[in-house]
Amino acid sequence: MKSLSLGSRVHYLIALCLALLLLAGWAASGSHPLPTLAWSLFGACVLLLGVALYTAQRILKALDRLTGHLTAAAAGNLDSRITGIKAGAATGELAWAINDLLDQQEAYFREVYSAFEHATRGQTFRLAMDQGLHGAFKEAMVRVNISVESLGQVQMMALKEKLISKLTDLNSGNLLTNLKSIQEYLMNMTQEMSIVGQLSKETAGDAEASRATIEGLVVDLNRVAEMAVASDAQVRLLHEKSDEIHQIVQVITDVADRTNLLALNAAIEAAHAGDAGKGFAVVAEEVRTLSENTKDAAASIAKTLRTFGQATTQMISDSEQVKALAEGSRMAVAEFRTRVLKFAGSATTSFTQMSRAQDLSFATLVKVDHFLYKQNGYRVIHQGTASPEARAVQADHRSCRLGTWYYEGQGAELFSHVPSYVRLEAPHADVHRNVHEAVAQLNGAWERNPATQSLIYAHFEAAERASETVMATIDRMVEERHRLG
Amino acid sequence: MVKRPLPTQQERVLGDDDFIVSKTDLKGIITYGNRHFIQMSGYSERELLGTPHSILRHPDMPRVVFRLLWDTIQAKREICAYVKNLAKDGSFYWVFANITPSFDRAGDLIGYYSVRRKPRQEAVASISQVYQALLAEERKAGDGQEGMKASLALLNQTLERKGISYEEFVFGL
Repeated sequence: MKSLSLGSRVHYLIALCLALLLLAGWAASGSHPLPTLAWSLFGACVLLLGVALYTAQRILKALDRLTGHLTAAAAGNLDSRITGIKAGAATGELAWAINDLLDQQEAYFREVYSAFEHATRGQTFRLAMDQGLHGAFKEAMVRVNISVESLGQVQMMALKEKLISKLTDLNSGNLLTNLKSIQEYLMNMTQEMSIVGQLSKETAGDAEASRATIEGLVVDLNRVAEMAVASDAQVRLLHEKSDEIHQIVQVITDVADRTNLLALNAAIEAAHAGDAGKGFAVVAEEVRTLSENTKDAAASIAKTLRTFGQATTQMISDSEQVKALAEGSRMAVAEFRTRVLKFAGSATTSFTQMSRAQDLSFATLVKVDHFLYKQNGYRVIHQGTASPEARAVQADHRSCRLGTWYYEGQGAELFSHVPSYVRLEAPHADVHRNVHEAVAQLNGAWERNPATQSLIYAHFEAAERASETVMATIDRMVEERHRLG
Repeated sequence: MVKRPLPTQQERVLGDDDFIVSKTDLKGIITYGNRHFIQMSGYSERELLGTPHSILRHPDMPRVVFRLLWDTIQAKREICAYVKNLAKDGSFYWVFANITPSFDRAGDLIGYYSVRRKPRQEAVASISQVYQALLAEERKAGDGQEGMKASLALLNQTLERKGISYEEFVFGL
C-alpha cells in the first residue's frame, strides 16, 4: 500500500467499497428478496460512491496542478500563478493561498533586489517597501532596510570620495602649474630688479667719473685763464721793449745823421786847409766819440733784443701750453658728453625695466587672485553651498578681482591697447560660468548621483582649461605691451 | 473586449496592509491578478485575464506618465509611479505602483510584474497638482505627439529645477 500514490489509494478504496457493496447486495438478494426501499438505498449508495469517485478524481487533478506550482516555486521559480480559479471550487481557497504566498515571496525578493541595486549606486532614497507584506516577510524587510541604508551610506561616501579625489587630482595638477607660473614670474621679476640694481650702480659710477672729469676740466680751464693773464703781461713787456728799440733806433739814426754831416764838414775843411791838419784832428775826435756812442747803442740794442727773444720764447711756450690745455679740455668735454649720453641711456633702460617689473607684479597679483577664485570653487565641494567659499565664487567675471582689474583698474589703463587684451574676456567668463554651473549641481543629490558628479567634474575640467588660457593671455598681454612699447 | 466605464467621483481605498499584484505579458495584456486586484478593479478574474492593463487607465492621468513607464520597463528597469486607476463601476482608486520586468532563465524579458500599494494622502495631493499641470499641457497642444513632447518637457523642467531625478522625486513625496 505504501508504494501507491494518494490518487491510486483513493481509487482503490472507493472501488473496494463499491465491490463490497455489490457483494453485500448480491448476498442479500440470494437468501431473502429485499424490499424496494432497501433496493433504493442500495442504488443511492452506489450513485454516491460514483460521485465521490468523480469528485476525488477532480480534486486529485487540481492537487496535481497545485503541486506543480509549488514544486516550481520550491525550485526558485516564483513567476507561476494559478489562474482561472472557479468561485466555490474545493481547491479555490488553497489556490488563492498559494498565489498569495507566491505574491508575498516574489514581492519580497523584487523589493530586496531593487533596494540593494539602488544602494550599490549610492541611491539611499529607494528603500525596500514592506507595505502589503505580512509576518516574517515584513519583519525581515526592516532588517533588510538597515543593511540597505548602511550600504547606501558607504556607497555614497565612496562616490563622494571618488569625486573629491578626482577633483583634488585635477586641482593639485593645476595647482603646481599655477605655482610654477607664479614662481617663474617672481624669478623674472627678481632678474629684472637685479638688472635695475646693476644699472643704478653703473649710473652712480658714471656720475662719479663725470664729477671727476668736470673737476679736472675746471682746473684746466683755470690754468688756461692764468696762462692768458701771463701772456698778456709778456705782450705788454714786449710792447714796452719795442718802444725802447724804437728810441734807440732813433738815436742811432741821429748819430748816423750827425756822423754824416760831420764827415761832410771834415771833407770840406780838409779841402780848404790842405796842411791845416789841426781841424781834421778835431773831426777825428768827434768821429771817435760818435763811434763810442754807436757802440753803446748797439750794445743796448743787443741787450734789448735778448730780452725780446726771451719774451718771444716765453710767448711761444705759453701758446703751446694753452694749445695743449685746450686740447685736453676738448677731450674732457667729449668724454663728459659720452658719459652724459650713457647716463641718459641707462636712465631710459632703468625706466623700461622698472615698468616691466611693475607690470609683471600686477600680472602676478591678478593671477593669484584668479587662482584663489578657483581654489574657492574646489573648496565648495568640501565646505558645502552655505560656506563663505560658496559666497566667494558667486562673483562673476566682471566683479571678481581680476575682472575689476581688467574692466576698471590698471588692466584697462595699461593694457587695453594690446591685441591680447580683448582675448582675455571670453576664457575668463568661461572659468566663472563653469565654476558656477559646477556649484549649481551641488544643490541636488549630487553625492548619490554619479551622473551629476561626472557633470561637476566636467565643469571643473572646463574651468581649468579656460583658466590656462587666462594665464597664457595675461602673459601675452605683458609681453605685447613691452614689445609695442 | 471590455469597455471602459465613465468615471465618477466615487473613491475606493486600498487597505494599509494589502497590495495589488498583477502580471502582464510584454504587450501589457493581463496574465494574472491577485484577489485585491479583482476586488479593487471591480472586474472578475475572467474579465481581467487577456485584457490590456490600460482598461484601468483614468482620464485624469497624463499620458506622459505611461510613456515614461513603458520607456523605463522596456529598458529593463524598475519604475515607480503614483497612478489614479479607474474601476469597473467608474469609481477611482489611487495606488503607488511599482513595476519590474520579469525574465526567463535565459535572461530574456517575458513580462512585467506590478505591485501596487496604498499611497500616502499627502503624496497623492502633491502628485495630483503635478499631473493636472502635465494634463493641461497635453490638452493645450491638442493631445497628439506634440502634447506628449510638451508635457515631457514640463516634467523634465520641473525635475531639473528641483535638481533631482524622477525616481528620487517620487520617493521623496
